[in-house]
Amino acid sequence: MNIQYKKGVLELCVMSLLKKRDCYGYEIAEYLSKHIDIADGTVYPILRKLKSEGLLTTYMQEESGGPPRKYYSLTSYGREVYEKERAEYLDFAKRIESLLKEDDHDES
Amino acid sequence: MTKVEFLSKLADELKKNNIPDAEEIISEYEQHFAFKMADGFSEEEIAAKLGNPAVLASQFESAEEDKKGVGRKAATVIGLSIFGFFSGIFFVLLMAWEIVMAAFSLCSAVVAACLFAGISPRSLIPPMPSWPRVVFGLSLTALSVLSAVACIYFAAFIRQLMRSYGRFHQNTIAAASGNAQLPSISIVPRLPAKANRRIRSVALFSLVLFTSCFVLGTVLAMILSGSLEFWHAWGWFGYKIVH
Repeated sequence: MNIQYKKGVLELCVMSLLKKRDCYGYEIAEYLSKHIDIADGTVYPILRKLKSEGLLTTYMQEESGGPPRKYYSLTSYGREVYEKERAEYLDFAKRIESLLKEDDHDES
Repeated sequence: MTKVEFLSKLADELKKNNIPDAEEIISEYEQHFAFKMADGFSEEEIAAKLGNPAVLASQFESAEEDKKGVGRKAATVIGLSIFGFFSGIFFVLLMAWEIVMAAFSLCSAVVAACLFAGISPRSLIPPMPSWPRVVFGLSLTALSVLSAVACIYFAAFIRQLMRSYGRFHQNTIAAASGNAQLPSISIVPRLPAKANRRIRSVALFSLVLFTSCFVLGTVLAMILSGSLEFWHAWGWFGYKIVH
């Protein structure tokens, strides 16, 4: 699938993961590449963009036996935007799905 | 590509695209390598899975846009507040018109009530026989209802226009500061379908009633007074033309 198409949806996926719990960058990259076929590196520009828009914040946390990790956390504004965009996306996806299924009926 | 090659290529591209906090970005990718290598992947594998450094660097937002955004935001806010002042005057004008329409509707209703009751406070209602009086009363009642409907619709329109303007304000500032925009609001008020149908049929009915009663009342008055200019025959302006 083409990358432009995925980008907006990826932002939603990142926010949905961060809504459940705070994560560090690598965790998010792994989570996304496990579910969606994208280059691992793509997630970092997305995280940065979401942070600059004020949807995410970061904090450093010491880990036992390793360098401190940068954790990402969803802000309350981010939560609000996520809920809105999630609803919009699901509605959109539902419409497209029913539209494409109609097409299926016509051919058979 | 090894880890060092990947990171130096990325650093070059980030610098070329004028992206701020490049060190921070690079340390993030460095950590990615560290985690993956701990899982037993080779540097080449990791670099290949990360993607092309040039493409990745182009996905970061450059500093230039940010800086421009601040100046643009200030200019936009100043522009919007000047524009907002004039829009405010415009909204006051619209509301004044709303008040005029409401007053018109109320006056029509009062005159209709006077006609029905046959009273003429301070002799403001001109004298006429009871038949045309009742028909004119009916006509004015319909006119009052018609203008009340217009009032309601116009109020909904002003409200929607204000909401739409508010959203436009919000979005313009968001666009200037590079934030996400909300969908714009249409200026056409959307009433519930049922209310819409009801309002339309009430408006149509009162329009027909007003027109037909007005014509009927005029004709009746002409016949009863025996003159085309019945207002002169009944001395509405304080004098009578005697043929």
